[in-house]
Amino acid sequence: MKNKYLFPVILFLLAVALPFIVPEFWVHVLTEILIMGLFAASFNMIFGYMGQLSFGHAAYYGVGAYTTGLLMVKANVPLLVCLPLSMLSAGLCAAVLGYFCVKLRGIYFAILTMAFGQLVYYIIFQWYSFTGGDNGLQGIVPPAFLGKAANPYYFFTLIVVTLGMIALWIISESPFGYTMRAIRDNAERTEFIGINVQRYMHLNFIIAAVFAGLAGALWGPFNRSVAPDLCSWQHSGMPVFMTVMGGPFNFLGPLIGSAIYTLLMAFVTSFTEYWPMVSGIVIIVVVLVMPGGLLGLLRDRLPFLRQNVGRAKETNG
Amino acid sequence: MDDTGKFVLQIEGLKKSFGKYKVLTDVSYSLPKGEIAAIIGPNGAGKTTFFNLITGYHHVDGGTVHFLDRNITNWPRHRIARAGVSRAFQVSNIYPRLTTYENVRQAILAQKKRTLNIFTPAHRLARKNTLDLLELTGLLSHGDTLAGILSQGDKKKLELALALAGKPELLLLDEPTAGMSSEETHETMELVKRLNREIGLSILFTEHDISVIFGYARKLSVLYQGMVIAEGTPEGVRKNEEAQRCYLGEEV
Repeated sequence: MKNKYLFPVILFLLAVALPFIVPEFWVHVLTEILIMGLFAASFNMIFGYMGQLSFGHAAYYGVGAYTTGLLMVKANVPLLVCLPLSMLSAGLCAAVLGYFCVKLRGIYFAILTMAFGQLVYYIIFQWYSFTGGDNGLQGIVPPAFLGKAANPYYFFTLIVVTLGMIALWIISESPFGYTMRAIRDNAERTEFIGINVQRYMHLNFIIAAVFAGLAGALWGPFNRSVAPDLCSWQHSGMPVFMTVMGGPFNFLGPLIGSAIYTLLMAFVTSFTEYWPMVSGIVIIVVVLVMPGGLLGLLRDRLPFLRQNVGRAKETNG
Repeated sequence: MDDTGKFVLQIEGLKKSFGKYKVLTDVSYSLPKGEIAAIIGPNGAGKTTFFNLITGYHHVDGGTVHFLDRNITNWPRHRIARAGVSRAFQVSNIYPRLTTYENVRQAILAQKKRTLNIFTPAHRLARKNTLDLLELTGLLSHGDTLAGILSQGDKKKLELALALAGKPELLLLDEPTAGMSSEETHETMELVKRLNREIGLSILFTEHDISVIFGYARKLSVLYQGMVIAEGTPEGVRKNEEAQRCYLGEEV
């Protein structure tokens, strides 16, 4: 096995083994880590690979979550059918909204993505008859074959997230993925080698939304409900925090960041209600001490890890 | 246009202003197919703007740009590049966080229209073409080096490699030897000459190095204050009084 696959394989084996070792509460936390990890990895297709900060990525996560929620609650559609439909709906939503976003760059891109994110949030919030408004949707129950215990849904999530991550990995290593790196590095030069930058950014925006929609689709049955907050700008901030913590220039950085963020939140909220303050301090420390995130720090400080978490999977940042 | 078949580039009445400042007032220019030509002039004469208008970097205010049989005036940059006009920039314009190899491969994959492929690992594609182009431009030993830490001379070579990767029919080189040692300058210009001779690539370059200009260009145009004030063979331009007064001076 090539060294570059060692680190993700160890992570996967750990993810398989952990539910047999830890109490059920922590299996729920692990499930959340996986879902948010896929959400953050999809966000990083725009941030780490394309070089633009989206502050409205939760909109597509929320559209995916609501698609699955509505189909399961109102039409009894099986979860396995809901997943691809959620990806489709999130992708269609991004095709429309992203068309306008990719005309802009930098702070203007961030502001417009946030504005569209809030637009989606308010549509879901106000449309009581269809979405349940601020009450959200309840009773999104996982299918019978997954039972009621935590472990089966965790393993279902693990399989879906692993497949999602593999798909993102393949895309990121493809000529399309390298075109995104080229656009991030020098969009102007990329036009002069004959690439329609705006069109490629739009496509990448849609791809990122499709996988955010998949992550969102997994959330409803896990939480048994969905709420408009899933689309809010605060929720869009979570993959930003996670990616910065784990390392935006490494493919697995967002997943690692999700683990750090979610574990820390589960731990801190067990004894204090001031989690937002703690998370703020953690972000400040991360940005000041390890701007490349945890994986960036490990690669710089521990040379023996470079082969495993290093260039093979990094976004050449 | 009657002469379209003979010329790779035909420009008529090109105008460009930035606010009240007129950079190009009325430039007409023709480049025969397979020619190697230079545009010279003092700083601020409008040479880079001239290139910017041909390649779609700036919007043309007036006039037309014909490339082969097509009117490419104000086409989008990527479309002009796809049509066969490649460009190397005055200030190196590369992908600093990709390796030299990845830089060149990216440009080759763009030329081959393979950049929408999301299934095949990029490292499996265009390997031979990339290595060949790295060798041609003298960058083979720097393949694994991050482009951002290359020497200035090597960045200019990479700039040339990116332009050549597009398999152009017209190559625009904006001060291709700036920042190069005399040895690198000689190597680069010999390569340019070889490309022109062996594959008939039409080349238009700007340059300040008089020895490069008179050593390699077969056609010379002097741009001064947004107008072409002299044009012809290097010997003809060398004897032109207005060209001497405005730019060449005592140097020749």
